[in-house]
Amino acid sequence: MERIIPQTQDMFDAYGRLNGDNDILHYDPEYARKRGFRGTLGHGLMYLAYVADLAARKYGKDWHYRGEISVKFIAPVCPGDELKVSLDDEGQAQCESQFGKTLVGYARLI
Amino acid sequence: MTRPSEIKPREGDLPAALYKDWQVGAEFPELRFTITPDVIDEYMSVVNATPEAYVIDGRRAAPPNVVAVYLMAVMYRKYPPQQGGIMIGNTFTFYHPIWADEDTVVVGTGKVEDKYEKKGRKYICYSVDFTRDDGQKLTRILHTSAFPE
Repeated sequence: MERIIPQTQDMFDAYGRLNGDNDILHYDPEYARKRGFRGTLGHGLMYLAYVADLAARKYGKDWHYRGEISVKFIAPVCPGDELKVSLDDEGQAQCESQFGKTLVGYARLI
Repeated sequence: MTRPSEIKPREGDLPAALYKDWQVGAEFPELRFTITPDVIDEYMSVVNATPEAYVIDGRRAAPPNVVAVYLMAVMYRKYPPQQGGIMIGNTFTFYHPIWADEDTVVVGTGKVEDKYEKKGRKYICYSVDFTRDDGQKLTRILHTSAFPE
């Protein structure tokens, strides 16, 4: 299973408005570049949610009672990235942009 | 309804907790909040969730990871945030649906599990447990972040 979700600053801002995250890495591109990134960073838990959505589709009702998702964020996601989110038959998950893998992990039933 | 922004200190508003301040084993004060259908709808919108994936026996459920937007509010009650933190990884385990057609009063608790320095970065690991106020376990999260100071 996979989805492609193009990333925008508006998406980062919308997630930040909900979770109340005011960390300037998410909205100040100049600060983010000074820290060595290509631009502002998307919220890690937004990407966990992308994978979890595929898992909810894959596992159905069981996902809510005995689902487990574990992810590591291995590279930043910035506005303009084309993010491909995938979950294979064994439950291995990843996100990948045009710059390479950004997230690895798994989503499975326990 | 409890919006996460109502209960979470904003980065930069309070003197930040630094790496040296974190103590392994320290517990976070209990955080009580209400997840409402409005919050669930907004969450589903901002994470591009697939609505048809969250129907259980004909009843609408929330993405069980909706508690993610309250995760840091639990930790920040003991350790006010600093700017520039980078999330490294998370493990979420789900135990029961959060229904999307009713208010759910949730209690968040947690503690610092570990701290370490590696290749010049400062890592903090903590756990948070979310339960309903009637005791039903909902979600357990293990979280790791790196902080600049």
